[in-house]
Amino acid sequence: MTEDHDTERETGSGDSPHSSGDEGVRPSDRTSTPEPSEGATRDDAPASGANDGPAPPNDEPETPPGAVSAGPKEQQLHPASVPYRSLSRSVSTGSLFFFIGIVASPGGAGANLVLIGAMVVVGILVGIAYEFAYYQRFRYRLTNDTFDVASGVVSRRDREVPLRRIQNVDVRQNVLQRALGIAAVHVETAGGGATEVTLQYVDETEARRLQRRLRDGPRERTENGEFPEDEADEEDEELLFEIQPNELAILSAFTIDPGASVLATIALSFASGFDPATLIPLDFIETDLPGTGLVAIAWAVLIFAVAAWVLSAALTFTRYYGFRLTRTNGELRYERGLLQRYSGTIPLEKVQTLTIKESVPFRWFGYGSLAVETAGYAPGQSGSRGAESAVPLAEAGRVRELARSVEPVEVPDLERSPRRARERYGVRYFLVVAALVAGSYALATTTDVVVDWYVTLVLLVLVPVAAHLKWTNRGFHLGDTYFFARTGFWRRTTKIVPHYRVQSVVYNQTIFQRRRRLASVTADTASSAAFFGRAGTAYDIDHGRALEVQRTLNERLQEQLRQRKHQRVLDRLATRDWSDEPMRDEATQDERDDERSSDTEDRGSLE
Amino acid sequence: MERLDPRVRPVWLTIAVIRAGFAGGFLVGGAAIVTESTDWTGGDVRLIWAAVAVAAFVLVFRVAVAWQRYRVWRFDVREDSLYIERGVFTRIKTVVPYVRLQHVDTQRGPVERSVGLATVVIYTAGSRSADVAIPGLDPERAEELREELRRLAIESEGEDAV
Repeated sequence: MTEDHDTERETGSGDSPHSSGDEGVRPSDRTSTPEPSEGATRDDAPASGANDGPAPPNDEPETPPGAVSAGPKEQQLHPASVPYRSLSRSVSTGSLFFFIGIVASPGGAGANLVLIGAMVVVGILVGIAYEFAYYQRFRYRLTNDTFDVASGVVSRRDREVPLRRIQNVDVRQNVLQRALGIAAVHVETAGGGATEVTLQYVDETEARRLQRRLRDGPRERTENGEFPEDEADEEDEELLFEIQPNELAILSAFTIDPGASVLATIALSFASGFDPATLIPLDFIETDLPGTGLVAIAWAVLIFAVAAWVLSAALTFTRYYGFRLTRTNGELRYERGLLQRYSGTIPLEKVQTLTIKESVPFRWFGYGSLAVETAGYAPGQSGSRGAESAVPLAEAGRVRELARSVEPVEVPDLERSPRRARERYGVRYFLVVAALVAGSYALATTTDVVVDWYVTLVLLVLVPVAAHLKWTNRGFHLGDTYFFARTGFWRRTTKIVPHYRVQSVVYNQTIFQRRRRLASVTADTASSAAFFGRAGTAYDIDHGRALEVQRTLNERLQEQLRQRKHQRVLDRLATRDWSDEPMRDEATQDERDDERSSDTEDRGSLE
Repeated sequence: MERLDPRVRPVWLTIAVIRAGFAGGFLVGGAAIVTESTDWTGGDVRLIWAAVAVAAFVLVFRVAVAWQRYRVWRFDVREDSLYIERGVFTRIKTVVPYVRLQHVDTQRGPVERSVGLATVVIYTAGSRSADVAIPGLDPERAEELREELRRLAIESEGEDAV
């Protein structure tokens, strides 16, 4: 369970009476008993009192796009989600039965086929019935401080997500969904391993409205005691980044997509009719070149590589086509994708870490990428690739500028590791090369696959170069409010960690490091880091300095926490002054709201 | 700096012996099977002896590491953070600020229970060292530590834990 009351940077709602109730959700106060029965009706806004309450399923079989008013009314999914979900389910169950059928009856006996066909039909019908029931059962509701979802056909689940806890909201659409005008909405909080709420599927305008409302957080009352209507607020959207055609071209050309090689294998085996030999221009080889065996293998490898590369480029192109990053009051919003359209929001006050990545081919062209990491996705969560919150590629200056617009900071000159670290890398690479040489020598003496084993000795020349490059690309800096750490020659990543995001500081010293009085220090954050994988670590620094860095990181964290607390108290006093007598009523209302949200939190943690 | 309860040493030694026993059993057993199936090596008995030697080495190594681990392990409940030092080969020193504590567990494994010890596990929202365990504690001390950490975590309240 996480808490986020960063009033300091919350430009949208930080100056409101609501922030005065922040104390209500601290851990010690979470003892009040949950009141599930009241959750449904208690929070109704006066503005829409008429159409409140849980609507029976048959009242509104359809959710017209116009009816999405501000009131906490229960809403259903888009009706088109029934056929769409049925279709995707049918395809998967159908193909499952199809393959079972193929495996079970290789001879293809007629009776078996009819039976299997019947099973498939029954499976599809059951699927459609299930999807219809799912649609009928699914209700969601956006109250002023929670997002409630009731779902489930067999086992039912009521879930309430406090708006304050929401980390990311993504909207995804593929081609078919775009044609139908529907979209999937994914809501992430920091807790748990999976996506907390998935709406499959809602109307696309509704999806955008939800995204906007969910990221705005708890709603404030206006002066006349009512909650404001949804305004179509596209007005203060500031375009930060739009991918340029040349950037997209370079990105597509040089990105190696891990899925592409698998796809290429499948595509090639289909294209060749499961006989790789047909792809090789044999006549050409036979006429011109002797020793067909090796050449044929080389051809196969080449064709495979080209196919994988083309596929990889195509995948990357469709993934990042039309990438846009915009900023609306305190929130980053990105959109991308040609066939499958993704859009997501990143609340600026929830940013854990910034990562600037300059991989080798891109660095040579003067390009880099930027990742903004939040705690929204659990580590190792497979589906998170779809919503990675990064600028895939931009000119290095623009990357720095973008980083600055998220966290007001410039990457300073970094502190190098001591020279003995470079010796260490030299020794390490030397051992690798020595092992290679020994291996090839062993092969040369025992078999006749390898003859000129001493050729591998040439690699020794590379040892000092590699050690030096590794050394120069590593560094760290301990700033007043940020910790910077850089590593990697091929994929140079620079992590920018705000001190107050540090979760723990780990000092690490292997026996090899101990010999050279070196150590590594890691500033761990709650960042999911699903994309870039590494935490901010200063590698191989002097072990005395490492202890100092560790101590300082903790001190700065404590100091910043004190400052933020102080700031919150000031903010609260400021809002008290504004509200004074006439607002007393409202203060109690807020207290009640907060009590409620702490209730719902408890309920959420029970799941 | 606080040391662990010395009784944790036999616990670790027992676990080390059990694990080495399993590993050695597999090694020697595998070697025996390979030797038996004579069409492969021609039944060379030296293979079994080599496996026994490796198993013995693993046992001695694990026991030595377990012995040494106790000497390295220490922790300190500081004013604003918990400090832990551990690791025989890779020395790890962790600072966990109390603000970041998510929850604290007490665990008691079967071997630990037999000598009356407990482990306190501390969770943060971090991605790498998300859980830190302090093993080898007297149950009373474990309970006390857990309470203390809980109190300290609440005292440093007010900030988001993420």
